[in-house]
Amino acid sequence: MRLLPFDYATRNLGRSPGRLVLAVLGSALVVLLVIASAAFVRGMGSSLSLPEENSNVIFLGAGSEESVERSEVSTRAAEVVATLPSVRTRLGERYVSPEVHIALAIRTEESQVEGRLTPVRGVRPTAYLVHSQVHIVGGRTPTPGADELMVGGLVGGQLGVDASRLALGKTLLIDGRPWSIVGHFRAPHTVMDAEIWMALTDLQVVGQRDDLSCVVVTLDPALGDFTDAEVLAAQRLDLELTAMREVDYYGALARFYAPIRAMVLVTASLIALGGILGGLNTMVAAFAARVREVGTLQVLGYPRRAIILSFVQESVIVAATGALIAGVVGKLLLDGIAVRFSMGAFGLVVDAPVLAIGIAAGIILGIVGALPPTLRCMKLPVGQALRG
Amino acid sequence: MSLIECRQLTKKYTRGDNEIIPLDELDLSIEAGAFLALMGPSGSGKTTLLNLIAGIDRPTAGELRVEGTDIARLSRSKLARWRSTHIGYIFQLYHLVPVLTAYENVELPLLIQPISRKERHARVAQALELAGIADRHDHYPRQLSGGQEQRVAIARSLVTDPPILLADEPTGDLDRASSKAILELLLRLNTELGKTLIIVTHDPTTTHYAKETLHLEKGRLVSEAPPALAAEVKSAGDGRGERDA
Repeated sequence: MRLLPFDYATRNLGRSPGRLVLAVLGSALVVLLVIASAAFVRGMGSSLSLPEENSNVIFLGAGSEESVERSEVSTRAAEVVATLPSVRTRLGERYVSPEVHIALAIRTEESQVEGRLTPVRGVRPTAYLVHSQVHIVGGRTPTPGADELMVGGLVGGQLGVDASRLALGKTLLIDGRPWSIVGHFRAPHTVMDAEIWMALTDLQVVGQRDDLSCVVVTLDPALGDFTDAEVLAAQRLDLELTAMREVDYYGALARFYAPIRAMVLVTASLIALGGILGGLNTMVAAFAARVREVGTLQVLGYPRRAIILSFVQESVIVAATGALIAGVVGKLLLDGIAVRFSMGAFGLVVDAPVLAIGIAAGIILGIVGALPPTLRCMKLPVGQALRG
Repeated sequence: MSLIECRQLTKKYTRGDNEIIPLDELDLSIEAGAFLALMGPSGSGKTTLLNLIAGIDRPTAGELRVEGTDIARLSRSKLARWRSTHIGYIFQLYHLVPVLTAYENVELPLLIQPISRKERHARVAQALELAGIADRHDHYPRQLSGGQEQRVAIARSLVTDPPILLADEPTGDLDRASSKAILELLLRLNTELGKTLIIVTHDPTTTHYAKETLHLEKGRLVSEAPPALAAEVKSAGDGRGERDA
């Protein structure tokens, strides 16, 4: 099939610069919304998922499988868990991390408003072995008893403050008491990125508790598997423990939040549909004004498919341009933005798959937006089309 | 055999409860090299006949053969291909694509022909030259006068070298001087290039240039030239095209 030249489509776009700008912006807005939704779903999903090779096991208080913050584990239980033979050991250090998790109202020194509830994790140095996703990117780990803490990469977004307010040496207030920031860490695409970490004993003092929230251990596959942890929890009923694979724990959380993600997707789809219908309206008007041109091209011998393809090309160029703009804006403005939720916060993820979804949405928008008005133009008999 | 043969050619439309018959069992033969003016009141079936010959519309009944081909039997895609090589169509309002230059407008019908870029360029240049608009080849339609636009449209209709040129009120939107120039150009295409020309018109001046004038009324051929015009047309005979100079 002989086609109309590609630049026939591109040049036609210049016929009405005002309409072109509006169409591109409209497409950019719809695609940006799709990108934001996809980034939300992907950000939340990735923060609640762990790689399959993760061999961590969380020991929680029995009956607290759904929330580490409500869990209570005795220090005695932690000692017993540490003796599990299949726990990984390296240079004599056993991969056992007793932890306290509490959400505390925290604010910066400069802030006059009430503090925001922020997840705080009290840890021992072994936590950095067990949670291998955590990388210290500035400063050092907090010293126990020195009122020091470390902040994750998304804490600024969680507290709603600029990163400069969380610089090393700055102070955060917990119940009015100042804590110095001595370290920065990143744990991208995990809930830990939105956490504040301090020494285990310090958080026990702040939280007025002498027990733990959980014990996280890393198993050595060569020495044993999850069954060992399950057996321990089942046999030692006196310890009141439940063992869960860390992957399963966050998997359950992900399932808990699945309806929210679905709602976001449905909302985005509905708004995108509204955008498409609005775009259709514009396209119908734009193409209706070109009925005579459609008739002329047919008289010149162009097959209908060639004309439809050219009109769809125009629309796809507009929509794809909008999608590209949305992609750049999304990457620059949305990527990494902290979104608070009950587990703390997660960062919006605008990565290659999300951008691909945005571009695909733009192209679909272009095709779906152009086909009905083009086919409508084509339905007219040529003679009638020539009369406009 | 005639170039165009219409036998009992009928076209009917239904609009609401009314049946409209723009062409009613028309018999007509047009020889190659003819210059035919089709006249008649609005709604007499002139444009319908032109559109049927061009393969833009299909007859309801009857037979229409162009160069021996029963075009009513061609599929839509075959008809489009046939039209691109056999018919050049000239519109009253030119129907140029506003975002293309004069050159590109003329080139447009050739883009669906299997010819090289070099040949395409040569043909476009020749058509622009023939239409007397080569010096405006890089102008956009908005930069041209009505007469110049019609010249570009004529060049576009010529560029595929079709044996038949159909023109629907080609001077209907032009002033007297431009009309005369366009009619002279069309006459030249007929006499010098041997193109068969069929013009739908309301303008009696056109009959001075045409070799033959047919009148339609209510879809039927009423005469080949009404008595009042016959003498005038006849006197135009030898010096065709010089009447309004």
